[in-house]
Amino acid sequence: MTRDTEVLVLGGGSTGCGIARDLAMRGVDVTLVERGNLTGGTTGRMHGLLHSGGRYAVSDQASATECIEENKILRDIAGHCVEMTGGLFVQRPEDSDEYFQEKLEGCRECGIPAEVLSARESREVEPYLATDIKRSIKVPDGAIDPFRLCVANAIDAQNHGARIETHAKVIDLLRDGDDIYGVKVKHDSGPGKRTHNTAGSTEEITAEYVVNATGAWAGQIGAMADLDVEVRPSKGVMTIMNVRQVDTVVNRCRPKGDADIIVPHETTAILGTTDEEVEDPDDYPEEQWEVDHMIDTLKELVPILEEARTIRSFWGVRPLYEPPGTGTTDPTDITRDFFLLDHDDRDGVDGMASIVGGKFTTYRAMAEDITDHVCEKLGVDARCVTAEEPLPGSEDMSILNEGMDNFGLRSPVARRSKQRLGSRAQDVLDTNECNPVICQCEGVTRAEIRDAIDQSGSDLNAVRIRTRASMGNCQGGFCCHNMANELSHEYDEETVRAALDELFQERWKGERHALWGEQLSQAMLNYALHATTMNRDNDPANGSKAVDFGAFDGGRVKARTDGGE
Amino acid sequence: MSDAEQPTDSHIPGTEEFEPVDVFPEANEMDLRPGADNCYKCSTCDTNCPVAEVDDDFPGPKFQGPEQWRLKRQDDYDIDESVMKCSNCLRCDSACPSSVPLSQMHNTARAEYVEKHMSKYSREYWRNRMLANYRRLAPLGAMFPRTANFMTSLPFTGFLGEKILGIAGDRDFPTFATETFRKWWTKRGGAKVSNPDKRVAYFHGCYSNFNTPEVAKALVRVYEHFGYEIMVPEQSCSGTPMFANGMLDDARRAAETNVPELAAAIDDGADIIASCSSCSMSLRQEYPELFDIEDIERVSANTWDAIEYLRVHEDLEGALEGATVGEEFDDFAYHAPCHARNQGLDGQTVELLGLVDDVDAYDVGDSCSGISGTYGWKAENYETSMKIGEEMFEHMEHAPADTGLTECPTCSMQMGHGTGYEIRHTLEVLEAALVGSETGDA
Repeated sequence: MTRDTEVLVLGGGSTGCGIARDLAMRGVDVTLVERGNLTGGTTGRMHGLLHSGGRYAVSDQASATECIEENKILRDIAGHCVEMTGGLFVQRPEDSDEYFQEKLEGCRECGIPAEVLSARESREVEPYLATDIKRSIKVPDGAIDPFRLCVANAIDAQNHGARIETHAKVIDLLRDGDDIYGVKVKHDSGPGKRTHNTAGSTEEITAEYVVNATGAWAGQIGAMADLDVEVRPSKGVMTIMNVRQVDTVVNRCRPKGDADIIVPHETTAILGTTDEEVEDPDDYPEEQWEVDHMIDTLKELVPILEEARTIRSFWGVRPLYEPPGTGTTDPTDITRDFFLLDHDDRDGVDGMASIVGGKFTTYRAMAEDITDHVCEKLGVDARCVTAEEPLPGSEDMSILNEGMDNFGLRSPVARRSKQRLGSRAQDVLDTNECNPVICQCEGVTRAEIRDAIDQSGSDLNAVRIRTRASMGNCQGGFCCHNMANELSHEYDEETVRAALDELFQERWKGERHALWGEQLSQAMLNYALHATTMNRDNDPANGSKAVDFGAFDGGRVKARTDGGE
Repeated sequence: MSDAEQPTDSHIPGTEEFEPVDVFPEANEMDLRPGADNCYKCSTCDTNCPVAEVDDDFPGPKFQGPEQWRLKRQDDYDIDESVMKCSNCLRCDSACPSSVPLSQMHNTARAEYVEKHMSKYSREYWRNRMLANYRRLAPLGAMFPRTANFMTSLPFTGFLGEKILGIAGDRDFPTFATETFRKWWTKRGGAKVSNPDKRVAYFHGCYSNFNTPEVAKALVRVYEHFGYEIMVPEQSCSGTPMFANGMLDDARRAAETNVPELAAAIDDGADIIASCSSCSMSLRQEYPELFDIEDIERVSANTWDAIEYLRVHEDLEGALEGATVGEEFDDFAYHAPCHARNQGLDGQTVELLGLVDDVDAYDVGDSCSGISGTYGWKAENYETSMKIGEEMFEHMEHAPADTGLTECPTCSMQMGHGTGYEIRHTLEVLEAALVGSETGDA
């Protein structure tokens, strides 16, 4: 029986996209389906830390070793997604000396470069560290943009012939006896790139082999074929600060605990996190006390956090897993290792494997293991090259250094744009057209927005994760509509409006958890701007009666004569 | 924490004194990113920026300040060159509803730009350095004032200035006084009033020393009229033209002279007064924002505008009520300098002159004069400068007065340049009303 594709990957997070890329590069025909946007699950809801492995150097040395290896690989193949900030494990006076020593030795045993800094040296690196810290261990932690990385994997998979379908929700697994041979998906619109308000269709996609890479949602997928996947979703809160209080990853050097890390991420700093098991990865309480608790704890390391502005908070759900019968009660004790569940070996059901557990930093190594397994099942003999071949945008990072022009942009905007686009900068930014800044907070220009629209259709959240537009301190108040305006060349009024509403609502969702101080002022101003100036709370065009847009004239044509040129 | 609990620090002793957050080795290395927290992008600063109003290529204070800072990482130095178009009028500071430290961000960014991106061999750098360090050149002019005035008045001097240095050829160089204020003060034998209970230290700045000593003399007579003992401490430039040109090292050197001298005067019981609104602005606001020098906060807290000081400490209104100035002065077209506006002093002159019987001051509106110190002296800014000034020129011409009045030296140059009027300082009018003019050298 012929199948639509050789391998069908479920889930467009880092694992799924990594697997799709690896398979495609080994010449396997692959289709990936994702129910929302790429990174829409756990990948887009992490703190953006590229682990050195230091974090696991005491508790889980196998993971630690794997982290430092992958850390080095990602710096090579994904240079435009990584910022090597370095990291500090900071010891406060009340933290144990013994643990500090264990951490240091652990790092050395795992091949993680580690150096002890005195309190003074630590504060020279990060002036905002608390005055009473004791000392720190310096390790090669970094910051990584999970959106950019995931999208680059998907693009490269596509470049190697893969089919990537976002907004395609799996509604059933196709099972014939003891054989799983595909899925039934419901496309939000299309198939193909998303266009709002376009009728979607359902589609059966058949495959030789199905890879369930849906992480915290793996249990739900398994249940469709009566398979038990004992994933234990655990939520963690992260809070985004408006500016970078630190330019180095700052970890608390103690055995375990909530709220012990600050990651400088692009223009912001992200505070993390907590660890609490939840029943349903789509429906769990997001509570203010979790945010308060985190700021209260982390201000022991960096006191100005108490006064600093937070722009939003979000929760992510870890796809924790432990083999049945382990019986760990505290989710922080559950291993971060990943598990490949071959349902043939395990349940006697052929044609599918599920991947659970694992962590972002080692996504590529996980994908390699799983791809090896799938290739073995399919009888494909091809070597993995994902550790050597750079991702699109990271092909030649040297051109980003001196010598590349600013494309007529103001220098900080040009610098940020080039950092985001990597080696694609020339292709995207070198335009003869007028190229104004659309998102002022993050310095994103029209050319970059249009490039993202070309990739992803009318979905402005997809544009957001590709460009960072609307992710700055106004949280879209000043740019969502301008982003939507860029859609209007290709899409009709109704589509543009739906896309705008969806983006603005997504921004508001996270901002709700930061409504005090300056961000409250920001929210009030955003409200005034959108409700009053734009009349978006009572727009006649939103009602049932059609507005005759043709009746509007083109505006005043008289040239300005009042001094402006 | 007791000494016993002091962390063991095998590398460097004396950790307890180390404070990297407050001790800035150089002002242009300050981390002002947290200041961006206050900005919620409302753009009120942009709508109040006189440069952005007339120059569509200027991105405005919101970009120059919080946006540019927020996009910066610790090691990034690529400040956009447009920061050199900011005239440093500080209107954005007063306009901001949310206390974003805009001018501090601009001053620091500009210094970084000059330090990292402007060639130290360029004409622009040396021209700016010269303009910023007027204090260094002025003594030469003051030594041979007649020769200097003759030279600068020659048409080819202006032509050469524009061609060689990029100084706007249309501008007339300020004339040097035949005797500086400090020379006059020494000749006079210093203070005529001795009063340990009422002492002021006069920060005269450069312009009233070298170019308009009549303003400084007027201040002396008015203050002595109220029974003050005046001290004239050693002093250097206030730093205003240096901030505006990104020459923070020069400004720091000047501040290192000024702050200890002024602090010593405070120790002697004096408050500090200035007749130039930019000098008082600098000592009060920019000094503590940009430098970390011992006593700088104390100097800032004890500095006053000379007229403001009398309004607070004396019954200036009572003394002026019904007074007359005589023949010398007629009505004035008054322009409040931006730097007076930023100190909340923009209303006081019109109010005070309203009390005097035979003279009135007509406010010519709240626009910027456009010269902003050295800004309008640069050939490349001349046009922008005159465009900003247009509104003020127009209002001056419509006011029923033929003489201009202001408290800022460069505003007065611009006012004179745009209208051909003679421009006076408010202290000269107060002197006439309170003491009577033409009092000789007394």
